[in-house]
Amino acid sequence: MLTQRLANIVFTVLVIIACAYFAVVAQGFEAAGLLASSGLPSRFFPQLLLGFTALCAAVVLYVYASKGEAGDEGQTVFASSAEARHGLLALAAAVVSYVVWLNFGYVVMALICGPLLCLAMGVRNPVIYGVVLALAAGVYLIFTQLLGTQF
Amino acid sequence: MFDAAAVGVAFANLFDPFTMIMLVAGILLGLVIGILPGLGPPIAIALALPFTFYMEAVPSLILLLAIYNAAIYGGSISAIAVGIPGTGAAIATVMDGHAMYKQGRGGEALGLSLTGSIIGGLVSVVCLTFIAPVLAQVAIKFGPREFLAISVFGLVVVVRVAGANLFKGLLVGGLGIFLTTWGLDELNGAERYTFGTYHLYEGIPLVPFLVGIFAVSEVLIGAEKALKRIEFDKTSLTVKIPGLKTLAKLKGNLARSSILGTIIGIIPGEGAAVGAFFAYSEEKRRSKEPEKFGTGIPEGIVAPETANNATVGGALVPTLTLGVPGSPAAAVLLGAFLIQGLAPGPTLFDERPDIMYSLFLGLFFINILLFFIGLFAIRFAAMLIKVPMTVIVPTVLLLSFTGIYAVSNSLFNVGVLLAAGVLGYVVRKLGYSIAPLSIGFVLGPILENSLRQSITIADGSTAEFFNTPIGLGIYAVLALTILWGPISTWVRSRMAGKVEDP
Repeated sequence: MLTQRLANIVFTVLVIIACAYFAVVAQGFEAAGLLASSGLPSRFFPQLLLGFTALCAAVVLYVYASKGEAGDEGQTVFASSAEARHGLLALAAAVVSYVVWLNFGYVVMALICGPLLCLAMGVRNPVIYGVVLALAAGVYLIFTQLLGTQF
Repeated sequence: MFDAAAVGVAFANLFDPFTMIMLVAGILLGLVIGILPGLGPPIAIALALPFTFYMEAVPSLILLLAIYNAAIYGGSISAIAVGIPGTGAAIATVMDGHAMYKQGRGGEALGLSLTGSIIGGLVSVVCLTFIAPVLAQVAIKFGPREFLAISVFGLVVVVRVAGANLFKGLLVGGLGIFLTTWGLDELNGAERYTFGTYHLYEGIPLVPFLVGIFAVSEVLIGAEKALKRIEFDKTSLTVKIPGLKTLAKLKGNLARSSILGTIIGIIPGEGAAVGAFFAYSEEKRRSKEPEKFGTGIPEGIVAPETANNATVGGALVPTLTLGVPGSPAAAVLLGAFLIQGLAPGPTLFDERPDIMYSLFLGLFFINILLFFIGLFAIRFAAMLIKVPMTVIVPTVLLLSFTGIYAVSNSLFNVGVLLAAGVLGYVVRKLGYSIAPLSIGFVLGPILENSLRQSITIADGSTAEFFNTPIGLGIYAVLALTILWGPISTWVRSRMAGKVEDP
């Protein structure tokens, strides 16, 4: 199982890389016309924050990498492989639902979102699928009939 | 300062039939969401936010305030009945509440939690009514340096209480603020991190980001444990309101917890969970029989439940007067003000006193009605504990998607919601708290503008930068807050050493 230590090391390294990338991008900020000379440059605050965030990430990285003690020694990110599978599949189901909405419209997304998530969670009881679909229909009706939302 | 005409308008606003319906609906909705484990006040408010888009300011804000109040109380029902806190604010209630329930005294525990919640809520509303207008009068004189000090204070405090690791809190706090720098620079029009898309000209939208951080991340976490069954014994669920004798015995506890909760709520960034824990520890510390805490005693229920509801009024003080959220739920509430075209801050009291008084009066009535609704609805509402997560997870996700689209008619915003949800899920799984991330995101624009303006005003002079008595006072309180723990530990260790030396 993925340990908190390894996951945090990878996460902080990614944060530091992202901070460096965004700091470089910030160098290219250009103010518009006459406003360009007013006050501090636009890149000042983002770069200040990126430096601060990278520093914090470096400290967290040091704590995990060198000492390996950050209050969660020996702990794993997921309690079990089943929980990891359910969580990550649910995440994938949410992303797929969004992509389906982009390509096929709201109604198709509303129809598949619930069942996809149920599948991701390992639901076998057909009644749950029925209830979820009925609630999805309820959400659709509330927004279209009561609030007048157009999808 | 007191505007009788505005109070008259506030009464008229509040007793409008639609507003009253929203008030009752908010209480019921808040109770339902509060009872469901994992879905706390910020998520409850976030899910209802899109519906307010179609309403006038007063009914929409009353709806959300009712949800906020009732969700905090609702959390105690599942804490008592099944030992699973419906909200973070009810974690401290589990210890004595569930112990009492297992002894067959569930009705008594529910009655104590309801009474404590109402008393705490009412005390905090009174404090809010008197403190907020005075603070608004003071805050109207605040400049960038004062707002900078308040923002720094709020952020540092929330980072400190959010988790064991200070740097982890600072990291996500910094990340939250950084994300607010995306979009056109308000001061000189530069495009920052827009990546060529016009969707980002106004930056990352607040409401989808907050709903994603709270609701979507919770949905993903809930999906992991969705198949776990909750064992629930519905006996002893009839509420027994404590008698005058019991209340007289608990009056000190009720008063202290109400005041503590209100004060903790006022401190920017602190939430109901902190208030509840603080009050519980304080009552345990003061008790002559601290060993009895956790075994099912009234004091252990009254303290956290009174304090957590008292944080609601407290949290609204900085939110309404300074635009600085007093809790994560208040941060989401700020989104509701923005949807209504209202900018919380000192000028709002001058510009729209009718709305302010409507909110104060509304909160008062919310607490009164919560008592009666709670009294009769608990038995039925508690049945919701049995609703499986496998039904809640897909429904909440679909509601979040649909609600965000309904507010903005923008699929881009739905994408922001999803991305924020994934970010929230990842950081929570890695042991980070999302409170600094959300508060940082709300405070970001205030921090940037006030910092840049302060530096410009100071014109390179450090002395001028700190030439602000109010700001210095706030920094001093912040330093004291940070140093208090280590200093008191050091003093106690020295004292213990002196006692042992001879």
